[in-house]
Amino acid sequence: MKYILEINKLTKDFIPPLSFTKLIKLDFTHQRPIRALEEVSFSLKRGGTLGILGPNGAGKTTLLKIIATLILPDKGSVTVNGYRLGIDDDKIKSFIGMVSSQERSFYWRLTGRQNLEFFAAMYNLKNIKDKIKKLLNFFEIDYADRRFDSYSTGMKQKFALIRGLLNNPELLLLDEPTKSLDYAAALNLRKFIKENLIKKKEKTVIFTTHHIDEALDFCNLFMILHKGKIYGMGTLEELRQKINDSTAGLGEIFVKLTEGP
Amino acid sequence: MLKKPLAFIKKDFLIESSYKLSFLFNIAGVLVSVLTYFFIDKLFGQKIVGHLEEFGVNYFSYVLLSMAFFSYVGVGLGSFSSRIRSEQMQGTLETILLTPTRISTILFSMALWNLLFATLDIAIYISLGIFLFKINFSNINILSTLVILFLTIISFSGLGILSASFIMVFKRGNPVGWLINSLEGLIGGVYFPITIMPAWLQFAAKFLPITYAVRAIELAVYRGFGLGQLTKEIGFLLLFSFLLLPLSFTSFKFALKKARQQGSLAQY
Repeated sequence: MKYILEINKLTKDFIPPLSFTKLIKLDFTHQRPIRALEEVSFSLKRGGTLGILGPNGAGKTTLLKIIATLILPDKGSVTVNGYRLGIDDDKIKSFIGMVSSQERSFYWRLTGRQNLEFFAAMYNLKNIKDKIKKLLNFFEIDYADRRFDSYSTGMKQKFALIRGLLNNPELLLLDEPTKSLDYAAALNLRKFIKENLIKKKEKTVIFTTHHIDEALDFCNLFMILHKGKIYGMGTLEELRQKINDSTAGLGEIFVKLTEGP
Repeated sequence: MLKKPLAFIKKDFLIESSYKLSFLFNIAGVLVSVLTYFFIDKLFGQKIVGHLEEFGVNYFSYVLLSMAFFSYVGVGLGSFSSRIRSEQMQGTLETILLTPTRISTILFSMALWNLLFATLDIAIYISLGIFLFKINFSNINILSTLVILFLTIISFSGLGILSASFIMVFKRGNPVGWLINSLEGLIGGVYFPITIMPAWLQFAAKFLPITYAVRAIELAVYRGFGLGQLTKEIGFLLLFSFLLLPLSFTSFKFALKKARQQGSLAQY
């Protein structure tokens, strides 16, 4: 199969909940839906590293969560490794790993290792202890038996990465994984992802960020996502051609494409 | 097949045992409630002797068993919504749903720890009854008791999963849990036999599974009734199970779909 991910005309609206003031006025008309994604279509080949660039509210997290089966789209289709979203969700889940910057996705009263053992069991993995040991060695973590709430933010993020890799996913979704890290920790984590996950493990990675330098650091493909729409997607050269500027940086490309003529 | 449920039990045990004081207070709580009803029996027990004739016990024996049994009802009714709520608050619900685990497995596994804990509770109640208050359990029909326990858990699980559906969508506010909790305490026969109540409340009680469950367990434990003598109660518990369980699974699937449409799985 040529493409690991195929997305066709994906649209998602979120309906804001009724406000309390409207409720006491017995006004049950909903507010206008917020369009998170509009007619998003793209395909990704195996082994690619796609950086989705966009400001806050661009629809990056919604897009990743739809691919991960956590949010249902209103329109359009998603196919992961040939499996259709909404039909083969469990197969898609076995095939992907997702890492977010959300610290609140672990059991804080368990140790790091106990957390990993629990989630590994949810993937029905065999030889759980060995797999976790190997991953901990790979990530150079010596303190897996400390309670999770005692870890630094950077360490928690490393555990999130390990959890995302437990099922050895072919497609790894990284949703702003460096968001809550300081500059040095973010740099280290980026270096780690680049050298170990992308070069050594050859994962197909989709990475969201609103930091352009971060995307440039290790992505070979870029998507400019703004207000739920794709304004451009391709290599840096392809995007430069799109704005007819052979020396433009990714920042300039972003501004020119999203501002329009 | 059992890997996931066992992983849930291990995880919940490790979390619960990290709150050491809570465990001790649970035992103390059982003792305090038992003593409270012991003294209520001393005060008013004689007044309701007539209502307890068919069970062949005094008020304290009746209420000790129904409260112990109530722990199991609580598992069926409360554990699904409380576990879902707890996973929402911890932010782990979304991560669990990211794994290829069936909804029924998640729901079943989440309730297991509470079931084990309720078994411990029932053991404490019964031990206190035997050793401290010298209650006679020698007439117990073990087969009937186990069948009733099983059917009670199943029928109340239906209501519990229905409650969890509300938690899934609305996060807080659980009308099913509130309604059933209030009604079962009042008219289900847990704290007093339903024959004490006026006729219209006794009629209303017929629509609650707890009414049949409490009556059946009292008769199986204290009078040694066999399955043949409890056909009416067992029949109604079966009926509630057959009606509520499929309904609850359908409603939970719908609630999960709604939460995925709203993108609110990670919200609490």
